[in-house]
Amino acid sequence: MGRPAWGNSVFFTHFSLKNYGAVRTRDHKIPTRGQKEFLYDGSEEQVERLQCSLGEHWKLLSEERVERQGSLVKAEWKPEDVTVALKTPAGKFWQTMGYADEGKQFLLPEEALFLMECGSVEVFYRDLPLSIQEGYELLLGDKTISLLEYLVFSHLKRLGYIVNRFDSSAVPSVYERRLNLVHKREKQSKQQRKRKRSVSARSNDISEGQPDSQDVQNRREKAGDDAFMEGTSSDSQKAVGMNYFSSSAVSSEEECHELPSNSEQKRPDWWEKKLEEAPSPGRPVYSKQSAGKCDLNKVLFPNLGRDCLHTNLEVPDACLLPSNVTATACDISSWREKLNMRQMRLTRREREELEKKKKYKRGVNEDKEVRACKNWQEYKQLLERRSQSSSKQRPAHLWNDVICPLVTPGQVSSTGDLLQQISVMQASHLVDDAVGLVEDACDKRITFDVYQADTAFDFKKSDPGKPYSRISVCRVALLHYESQTTLWESKPGPYQRSTATSFIERPFAPPHPSIIISSKIGIEIGDLPGQGCASLLVVLPLRPPGLVGYHP
Amino acid sequence: MQQPSEEPERNAECSEGTSGEPTAVRQHESPPGGGVEPKEPLIQLYLADSIPLLWRSAHVKVARERLGVVGAAVGSLARQPRQNCRLSRPVQLLREEARFLLENGRAELVKALKPQNYEQEVQSYAHYLERNHEEQQKFALEEKKQVLKRVMEDKCKDGAAAPSSIQSVKDSLDSLESSFTFPCSAMMVQLCTARARFSYTPEERLWLSAELANPVDERQKVRYRVFSDLREKGYYLTSAGKFGGDYLVYPGDPLRFHAHFIAVCVPLDKETPLSDYLSLSRLGSNVKKTILLCSPSQTDAKFVHYTSIQWSGMV
Repeated sequence: MGRPAWGNSVFFTHFSLKNYGAVRTRDHKIPTRGQKEFLYDGSEEQVERLQCSLGEHWKLLSEERVERQGSLVKAEWKPEDVTVALKTPAGKFWQTMGYADEGKQFLLPEEALFLMECGSVEVFYRDLPLSIQEGYELLLGDKTISLLEYLVFSHLKRLGYIVNRFDSSAVPSVYERRLNLVHKREKQSKQQRKRKRSVSARSNDISEGQPDSQDVQNRREKAGDDAFMEGTSSDSQKAVGMNYFSSSAVSSEEECHELPSNSEQKRPDWWEKKLEEAPSPGRPVYSKQSAGKCDLNKVLFPNLGRDCLHTNLEVPDACLLPSNVTATACDISSWREKLNMRQMRLTRREREELEKKKKYKRGVNEDKEVRACKNWQEYKQLLERRSQSSSKQRPAHLWNDVICPLVTPGQVSSTGDLLQQISVMQASHLVDDAVGLVEDACDKRITFDVYQADTAFDFKKSDPGKPYSRISVCRVALLHYESQTTLWESKPGPYQRSTATSFIERPFAPPHPSIIISSKIGIEIGDLPGQGCASLLVVLPLRPPGLVGYHP
Repeated sequence: MQQPSEEPERNAECSEGTSGEPTAVRQHESPPGGGVEPKEPLIQLYLADSIPLLWRSAHVKVARERLGVVGAAVGSLARQPRQNCRLSRPVQLLREEARFLLENGRAELVKALKPQNYEQEVQSYAHYLERNHEEQQKFALEEKKQVLKRVMEDKCKDGAAAPSSIQSVKDSLDSLESSFTFPCSAMMVQLCTARARFSYTPEERLWLSAELANPVDERQKVRYRVFSDLREKGYYLTSAGKFGGDYLVYPGDPLRFHAHFIAVCVPLDKETPLSDYLSLSRLGSNVKKTILLCSPSQTDAKFVHYTSIQWSGMV
């Protein structure tokens, strides 16, 4: 075992007095590169110029970052939480980076690495400061983001953009958009901005729901029927696919695929719990994020029959409802009472009819009408007539009135189907499919949300708003030069970098053919090196579908 | 005045092999490749996600100046971290470049390092900080003295100055030793770029390194043959992803020369529609570079066929 590196100080600068002075007088400007030459002729002047440029290059490359101890923010890398905890108060970067949790300040690993490279933060791990190399090795990986994604991240940050991790919960779902809940949410958030809050976003969702529900209760509309429509799941069934987010203060900047692990706490429960029952950890709060995330096809209608013991349907969260619809909790015991479960007292005629029906139910061949049929065709006609007549047994007051039901009871079995039938959910949106990509954790997931630099001064970390664009980072294996392409790795033809627009406009690939890649936002792709392949910045713009083609 | 550089001298670097990470760093006194200066360091390749990186500027220099392997800088520049024109270490290499270096015995893939004796390291870090502080304090004190002396001299020369002001400066000079404070926060600290003490995932690395040396993919084999052939002819090659090609071929160092060719690696037996060649040549004419189709020979392991396409008549 040799002496440790610190003692020898050969890995890094030995801070002699000369060097100290030199650092302070270091030039902060980067020397410009002159014109390049075209032909190589081996002449002396060329060699000299080359040596000169190279010398400059090495000087720049070998420089080290030297900072005042007092201006460095100290931080510590916590691998078990996959986060970097700040030990001294954050500096100016706190406006756009980092998150707070229980009063402490944290940074995401890629943000910490970027700040290390900028010389603002010194990250410690087990009491020793990390070098940039160690930072790359420890802070980038499967649990955080990959090297390529970090290169894209740092490129954008150096340009001045504000880059956050993709927050799928902030994407308004189809449901929310259709019911115009998006505008309501934005209005609410504007109201919230006036209040000062130190707790992060999620815990405020509950409080934001409340002012509305109070409004709701003041109005006192007939909410019973609405509640039926909204209240969906049955207690006795386990609904799959509903993600409830806990009301603990978890920042919206956290990695989106971490959330399912946090939030899969309980199955949804639409029935009001009696006090005697064990309190569940975190009463299922229907924060607005989860509204969009439930797969409505898996949300079944409640069981309102006699066999279900519960009688009180809960108030649906106001964030799920459009603004002019109100709902209150409702007690279905009155409905239950109306359910007639007694044995029918049949009149004599009815009894006879019933007996007749029983008769021919036993045997088709004993049915007179069937016997009267001479061939298959007639028999089929008979069946048709019978089915038609049975369907006419709809109660007139329900079906023949001005207002009649949109669906028959047998047609739909879940909320999703219902909404489909009555055409609530039709439009599809590019990002909807994209949101599903997140769970894939493959190359084609969306990684970042990008916000423009000029909004930096009023950028709120807790409520960043709609991003300027979203980034998905992928490697492009170019140059198979096959004109017919459905595989994403063979891109036909060259792309003209000089225009920096309409970069690649082909449907992306199986398994996600719905994503179109377009760089019409004008972000320079830049010299992102790769192994003979370009690491692409793939930008999914958020503009209305006019700019982006969507081919279902 | 010397700028603080990362590796002071070669001798010191050689000694670091014994002091720092004895398990992994090997310094070859006489590298296997013939005709090379002795005591040139073996280039260390670090793999991140199967992407080879170079962290030491000495290695980058050797790779570029001696071996013609250019790579691409991807890290922030120390001087001005918030710009994208000039980037700095780490330097990312192409797979072919890494393989080239490995096959010529000029580089090694650094395997995982075992964490060292921690308490000792922590202690020596603390000593280092103390020593740094003392030295800088002395230096700052000296500087302040110089400044005050100069002020005094100026005042003495300037006859109009009142004797009381001269006296006050003299007083402060005398009391400087006792009243001077140099807090810890004013100390300058270096944030090292390259030092690897913690390295993990050994199995992954070994697998990746094996894959790097012997690619299974046909395409990679073709690319590597083209790369090594062009490199041996003396051209400098960089990635040509921006141009829709495989490599950009420079007659000299990319710092000083423009690229002449865009090399596109095509296997000999592959059928390609003409429209692809048309689009390639169109591109080439737009950027004033010649498209070079490179196909390794299937009979001769050393030979590569080259075909250049130029669109004549393009104004």
